[in-house]
Parts: sequence; structure tokens; C-alpha cells
Amino acid sequence: MTAQSATLNGGWADFRAVSGDDAAANTAATDLINILDTIEVPIVVLRCDLMIAGFNKAAADVLRLSLSDIGRASRDISVLAGLPGLEEQCSRVIASGEESQADFRDGDKWFVMRISRYPQGERQVTGAVLTFTNVTAFRECIDQVIYERECAKAILNTVADPIAVLDADQRIHSGNRAFYTLFLELASLRTKLKAILAGTSAFQPVEVDHVFPGEGRRTLILDARPLSLPGHSERRILVTFKDITTRKQTAAASGLRAIAERKEELRRSEAFLAEAQRLSLTGSFYWRVPTDEIAWSEQLYRIFGIDRGALVTPELIGSRVHPEDIPLLHDIIERARGAGTDFECEYRLQMPDQSVKYLHMVAHGTRDEDGRLEYIGAVQDVTARRLSEQALGKAQSELAHVVRATALSALTASIAHEVNQPLSGIITNASTCLRMLAADPPDVAGARETARRTIRDGNRASDVIARVRALFTKKESAIEAVDLNEVTREVMALSLSDLQRNRVVLQLELAEDLPAVTGDRIQLQQVILNLLRNASDAMVDVHDRPRQLLVRTEREDGGRVRVSVRDAGVGVDAHNVDKLLDAFYTTKTDGMGIGLSISRSIIERHHGRLWAEANDGPGATFAFSIPSGPASVPDSAPR
Amino acid sequence: MTDKRSLVSIVDDDESVRESLPDLLRLFGFAAEAFSSAEAFLASDVVSETSCLLLDIAMPGMSGPDLQQELTRRRQTIPIVFITGLVDGSVRPHLLARGAVDCLIKPFSEAALLDAVRAALRRPYSEQVTAT
Repeated sequence: MTAQSATLNGGWADFRAVSGDDAAANTAATDLINILDTIEVPIVVLRCDLMIAGFNKAAADVLRLSLSDIGRASRDISVLAGLPGLEEQCSRVIASGEESQADFRDGDKWFVMRISRYPQGERQVTGAVLTFTNVTAFRECIDQVIYERECAKAILNTVADPIAVLDADQRIHSGNRAFYTLFLELASLRTKLKAILAGTSAFQPVEVDHVFPGEGRRTLILDARPLSLPGHSERRILVTFKDITTRKQTAAASGLRAIAERKEELRRSEAFLAEAQRLSLTGSFYWRVPTDEIAWSEQLYRIFGIDRGALVTPELIGSRVHPEDIPLLHDIIERARGAGTDFECEYRLQMPDQSVKYLHMVAHGTRDEDGRLEYIGAVQDVTARRLSEQALGKAQSELAHVVRATALSALTASIAHEVNQPLSGIITNASTCLRMLAADPPDVAGARETARRTIRDGNRASDVIARVRALFTKKESAIEAVDLNEVTREVMALSLSDLQRNRVVLQLELAEDLPAVTGDRIQLQQVILNLLRNASDAMVDVHDRPRQLLVRTEREDGGRVRVSVRDAGVGVDAHNVDKLLDAFYTTKTDGMGIGLSISRSIIERHHGRLWAEANDGPGATFAFSIPSGPASVPDSAPR
Repeated sequence: MTDKRSLVSIVDDDESVRESLPDLLRLFGFAAEAFSSAEAFLASDVVSETSCLLLDIAMPGMSGPDLQQELTRRRQTIPIVFITGLVDGSVRPHLLARGAVDCLIKPFSEAALLDAVRAALRRPYSEQVTAT
């Protein structure tokens, strides 16, 4: 480059002047000036009096110097004027020879100004050299780094978990805000960290409990890893903490909750069982046979009326069992002890107040892995059921009695009628006979005839009495072979007048060779009588058709005998058929309604069945069928 | 009593009554006819000649009271003495209220029978007097 423009070129007048005419020196000076002008770093040379001695081209550009500025004081240069204490600094450098630096800014450009002593010749110091190194790019770079660092810091500080960097001695180098907030007291942490990190190269996260002042005990997961810093040989460790106290508490709480829920569930199902046992009056027990170890449920203690928790021994059980049932229970238990099979029995307890409880026991035998016999069983208090069964049986027999009495009263009228007819004949005939004998002459033939009629009527009355005796003199439950045809005929004979009074047209169809059934003759008579009365009553309001009543006996398949009574009455409602047979249900306003119920229970005791059905035409048919032959022995009277 | 023997008719389903009563009544001097049912009596030719009717209450088919009603309907005012084997006395006042002369409960004595029949034979005149 050549110096063509004064403003754009460096100013080196003095240096040329110094060179004089020495051609070689001139060439060297020119070369030097040219080299200086090519250097991009502005260079300004000041004299000892701090006047500008020269400057290179870059200085002319940057500091906006021109040739006319040579010899002017540096403080007069507008660009340099912004550097406070420049002259003092330069003087100091010139005096001491020690370099000095200062930042210098020109617009958006940053420079580092270096002041060094300019030696001319061997000893003489002639001034100072100012060089301006452009550090704009470097500054921008640093700014960027600072910005990035602040960003990183801000991010780290917003992280809720504590993070710290340790130096090689496990001293805290730096930490985020969370770290410093949590670790107010660093000394104990350091001790702990030292202990944890000692000798660990491959670090696995560890859970650490730490008591913090003001925070209390907290649980942290501590993780650590070596930080590799490029260009740094110093070993640092990044330590992160994760506060899992809450999570742990939540987990613990939910764990506790789960346990509590399971407990509650268990408690509930236990309560369920206890309540079910209480309601069903069923207790359960466990019997380990070889050791006679017995465990009872709460309800079983209650059933036995023994304080809950008392040690259950065979003696204790024996103290409650009804004396009459002890042999039975003993027998069952001894058999169970040997066989190991399931057993079931009923026995009674005699309570201290002398009341009696009926218990039903069922037990299931199992063997444990060692082959030892165990029983698990249930004991139900069936007292109420037994008592009501007994009450029912009693009520049933009372009802039967009532029905009988009712039937008896109806029969009494009927019997009286039956007996009075022949009695009437007897008296009339006897009167006639006496009068015939008293006549003059006596009508002996007529008297003989009337006497004969008297005997016949007497026999008739006697027959009636015999039938009545057959009906009433027998005691309950006389089991015998019964010809249902005969029974039907007897009942018919006794009911005839009753039926006639009700203007019933009676029709009998009795099967020939009807097999005998085994049973209670009186009870069966009662049933037939009942069915007849019902049929007769059902036709009381019938006026538009004959009051036809058909009584039929017949053989059924399977060796059964059927007796049916078909009326032409008001009939039965299909819905009421079952109800009709229930005790106390009646469609009659003056009936007791129990007749059919009793009849049914009688027939059922004869292993038969009694039913009602609507006829195709008017009326209904009530019928029963019972097995014939000796198989039809009825059950004993109700318990 | 009367020149012409009064006819006492008997309606009863019981044979011994039908056999025994007519003989006794005849011994007392009445004419007697027995019928086994109300229907048979109505079908006979003695209805209008009957001075007294001995009538059973309970009979198959038409009953005694039914016959009484039927006779009233036919304006046959025959005095009626009911005879019954029923011990139940509750029907008696009912029957008397409907115009029966008497109601004899079987078995009855010949005296009771005679009283009732005589009362019946006296009855029509007084009734006819009041009627005309």
C-alpha cells in the first residue's frame, strides 16, 4: 500500500525525517511504515511529551487521525479524549516501563488499549506506543456466555430439586436455589455426603434421611456423577437430590389406607358372618380330634349360654346337653372320632333356667397334611322351629277336634232324623197293634202285622245306632284295612237326610273289587263326609239346575284308590283351588274353612293327595287318592 | 164325628211311616191314603178330597214346605200337619206362621197325632168363614 491519501494513510513523517538521505535506511523505514500500515491493529506512537509522533493506517481509520494530528497532544484527539487518565497512564508507563491496559470503546466496537514504552536507541525512552486490539467479537462471545450462564442459572434455580456441584474435596462449589434453601446447614450435609461418596466410583442413587432445621426429617434420593469439564483437570461432582418425603408419605399413607381398607373389609366380612350367625341362630365350631381342641364361634357361645372365650371342653359341653341326649351325643362323637366321616344330628340343651333348646348339628370331617382328623361344623338353634312344629301339631289336632265337633253337631241332627224315622214307625205300629188287640173282636192278624213292622223298624233304628257307633266309638289312629266303598256307603247313609234336605240328587258309582287301603277309618270317613258337606253347601244357591252330586270310587293306576265328589255348585275359581285347601280360607260365609285343610292333612298322612278341580260343566270335583294295600300305613300323629 | 169319613192323606218318603200311620188313622175312624212324594200326591185324584194332610218336611225332590206353597198357589186350602224327624225346632214357628196347623216331631204319640188331626179337621170351616 502506498500513502496516497493523507487522511487514510498513517502518519510517519518524523520517522522518515529521521532516516535522512541514507537510501538503505530510507528503504528500511519505508518498508517498516508499509508493514505497520498493513497491520489491522491501530498503533499510535506518542512522544515523551505525549504528543502524537506517528500512527499507522489502522489508527488513522479507527481513531480518525490525519497527518495534521502529528505533533498534537493526545488529549486533543477527540476519540482518545474519552479515555480518562490516559496521559497519566502513559506517563507512568514511560517512567516505569511497565505496560498498562485499559478498555476502550468506540461506538459498538470494543478494544483493549495497551500502553507500552517505546524505546528509541539503547537507553533513551522517547515515548509510548498505544495499540488497540479489537475485542468486539470476544466481548460478544463473553456476553453470550454470560447470558447462557444466567439462563442456565435461572433454569437451575427454578428446578425444585436441589442440585449442587462439589469439588474434589466434597466441598460445595455451587448449588441452585433449592439446594441452598433446603440445606441451610451445610456442615452436617458435607459429613454425610463425604460418607456416602467415599470411594464410590460407580454411583447408584441412594436414599438418605436427613433432619433439616425447621423442616424436620426428609427423605431424599441422592444421585451423583462426575462432571467432566473440558479444559479443566479439576474433578467435580454433580450431586442431585430428589425430595421424596411427600411421595413416601403418600405411599405410606396409601399403603396404610390399603391395609386399613383390607382390615375394614375383613372386619366387615367377620361382622357379616357374625351377624349371619346371629340371625340364623347358627354357630360354627372347629374340633381337632386328636387333641380334643375345640373352638367356638361367638354365636355358639351364645347358643350354649356360656361366656365368650371360655375354654371349650367336652365337660363344658356335657354340662349343657340335656341329660337324656348325652348318650346319643356321646355315641355320635365316639363314632365321628373313629370314622372321620361327616355327621349330622339333633340334640337338646338343658339351660341353667331349665329351658330346653333344640340344636341341629352338622359337621364335616377333614384331615390335615399330617393326617390328623379335624371337624368343622355348624350348630343351629332350631328351638323356635321345633316349638312351632309342636304348636302346629297341637293346633292341627285341636282343629281336627273342632272339625269333628262341627261335623258331629251336623251329624247329630242327621242321626236323630235317621233314628227318629224308625222310632216313629215303632210307636205308631205299637199303638196300632194295641188298638187292634183291644178291638172286639181283636184283629190278631193286623196286630201281628204291625208287631212285625215294629220289629223291622226296631232293627232299622238299631242299624243306625250301629253305624253311629262305627263312626264315633273308635279311638284315634286305629290303623286297619279299610274298604273305601264301605266307608263311602256309611257316610252316605248318615248324610242322606242332610243331603235330601238340601234337595241334592245323589248318585253313587262305586267300583267293584276296590282294593282295601290301610288307614284310619274314622279319619277317612271324616274326609268323605267333609267333601259331601262341601259339595252340598256349594249347591245351596243353585236353583236353575238339578243339584246333582256324584260320588265315585275307582281304581287308579299304580294300585291307588280314588274317591271323587263331583257337585254342580258354584264351582271353584282356578286361582282359589290351592287356597281352598289352606286352613282358614273359606268361600263360605258361615263355614270354618278348616275342613278341607284338615282333610288334606289326613290324606297326606295316608300318603295320598287331595285336590280340587273345576268341572267342564257347572261345579267342581274334589277328590283324593291313596295307595292301596299295606304300604299305605299313615304316619303317626303329629309330633 | 162325621157321616162321611174324612180323608187324611200322608206324604212321607219313609216307608215305615207310610205303612204304620194309615192303619192307626183308620182305627181312629179316618180314611187314609199314603204317598211317597209330594209329586205323587199332587198327581193323585185325592187332593181336593183331602181334609187333612200329614206332610213330611225333608224329602227328595219337592219338600213339604214346597208342597204347602204349591197348594196355596192352587188355592187348595188343605189343613196341613207337618211331621218331621228333625230335632231342630227352629222350623216349627216358621211353618205355623205360614198356615200349618201343627208340626209333630217324630216320634210322636197317638194322642198328639189325634189332637193335631182333629184340630186340622176343625180348621177349614173357621178359615172359610173368615174368608167369605
